[in-house]
Amino acid sequence: MEILTTALLAGMRLSQRYGATVALHETTIEVERGQILAVVGPNGCGKSTLLRALAGLAHGEGAGGFSLFSSKVPSREHRAKVMAFVPQRPDLAADFTAREVVQLGRFARGADEYAVGDALRAVGLRVRSELPMRVLSGGERQRVAVARALAQIDGADPCVLLLDEPFSGIDPGEVSRIVGALRATAERGAVVLSLHDPGLARAIATHAAVMSGGRIVSHGVASEVLVPETLTKAYGHPIDQVAGWLAPRIEPSR
Amino acid sequence: MKRPPGFVIVVALLAAGALLRMLLGPAADDSGLRVSLSIPTGEVLSLRATAVLSAALVGAVLGLSGLALQSLLRNPLASPFVLGISSGAGFGVACVLVLGYLFAWSGAGLFGREVFGAVAGAALSLAIVSRFGRQTDGHDPTTLVLSGVILGAIFSAGTALLEHMVPFGLRGDLLSWMAGRLPELPSRGELIVVAVAAVGGFAVLARRTQALDVSMLSDDEARSSGVNLGALRGTLFWTGGILAGVAVAYAGPIGFVGLVGPHIARRLLGPRHAALVPGSALAGAALLVLADAVRQAIDLGSGRLPVGVVTALAGGPFFLWLLRRGAWRS
Repeated sequence: MEILTTALLAGMRLSQRYGATVALHETTIEVERGQILAVVGPNGCGKSTLLRALAGLAHGEGAGGFSLFSSKVPSREHRAKVMAFVPQRPDLAADFTAREVVQLGRFARGADEYAVGDALRAVGLRVRSELPMRVLSGGERQRVAVARALAQIDGADPCVLLLDEPFSGIDPGEVSRIVGALRATAERGAVVLSLHDPGLARAIATHAAVMSGGRIVSHGVASEVLVPETLTKAYGHPIDQVAGWLAPRIEPSR
Repeated sequence: MKRPPGFVIVVALLAAGALLRMLLGPAADDSGLRVSLSIPTGEVLSLRATAVLSAALVGAVLGLSGLALQSLLRNPLASPFVLGISSGAGFGVACVLVLGYLFAWSGAGLFGREVFGAVAGAALSLAIVSRFGRQTDGHDPTTLVLSGVILGAIFSAGTALLEHMVPFGLRGDLLSWMAGRLPELPSRGELIVVAVAAVGGFAVLARRTQALDVSMLSDDEARSSGVNLGALRGTLFWTGGILAGVAVAYAGPIGFVGLVGPHIARRLLGPRHAALVPGSALAGAALLVLADAVRQAIDLGSGRLPVGVVTALAGGPFFLWLLRRGAWRS
């Protein structure tokens, strides 16, 4: 398939099915430099599948076209040097220390202790970096996973960072710290992240794609896409804008 | 790179075992069966040195095989013996022995065929056991170990069945060989095959230590980090299978060295493969040399006790302790 695009990262007609279930249906998406693109939508709408496909991890029939920096078929090595991925449930070798896990991120680009230190600082884990993963809390492990990805693309310009639900189990203070790191990354590339919370998406993303049933139903500038009408339709439940924050409508308790 | 002090401990263990094995012998004064320590000379010296070398090489092969399987299945309970791979290799060797009897193969070059049969049996059982334990996200430890135990029982029964098809002389060999026995007088060729397996296995794993470390993350993270997981797992599969096969063809299914060796290495040297690969080989060697020294002390030179009995008596409880600690849930 011919792909003519200037986008940093483009997925053309991406499809994925799991047995009889179509998880992703001919989805096309482009991400430009400087963007923080939030992918939102109800559970099971295909957010994770889209992110994995963009990371080049989807396999099976009809995966569709893919382009990274206008290179149609980037090699595994090239891809690993410029694009990092944080899965929804990172599995981090329990015996390794946090610092060792972040060092693993340098597999493609080569060992760099400065990159490792910067990544640990960006997620606020520098002081606890010598502890083994098994004693860290769930939120701390999630931050280590983000730091590993940051270290992986440290020094790459342009770069792409893909994160699947990176804020699950992370407290608000740490969310804002990681958002800072994502914004710094977007200055030399693009960040794509899936989020279940549209309010959070609106607060941190420049652009947004709303998904429903394996398709992107709306895509554009975050402030135009993430509005109650679109989200209500996608989630099948009233979403209100409360004091500027998008929130599900929940009847007050008696 | 800074050498971790854990290496000193492993090497000291190996040296202590080797020294003990060299000095241990039956008492010279015919005052009943008693153990004595004496400095060997002449033929005894060369016999015992060969025994130490043989045990150390097989131990290293088993340690490396266990490490390859543990990294392949991302599970610290994996080892050739626990997963039934040794039994599969044993079945392969028994098949070759029966075929050799039926077609009256000559003794020369039989070891080569045994190695081939053992590797084929090991690969077959490894393929079955990893298929059974496979789930959407990696391998489920419970299913893996259970299917390994069942598979081991099936292959052992198959070996016992084959054993009845050969004459009694050969049968006695097979029986004690199935318990795990280091050959008393290994030929130079056999020793070379085991040495090549040890060095080759070490080289294959040592070249991939970084990728092995990264493969301890989730599959998606490892792949997006640039690791060719498919190729790496294929390499681990064949390394683990071939090494287990060679060890079994040489010495029978010696249990628990492949499990405990990498575990000691992990304890003393940490989780990084740059240390684990040499550490597992050294720890495996140390364990088997020590076990052989203990066997020597118990059986007082009569040569009837298989070393596999010692490793099972020491390693079995260790395995249970690992289960209790919940190591499989890591």
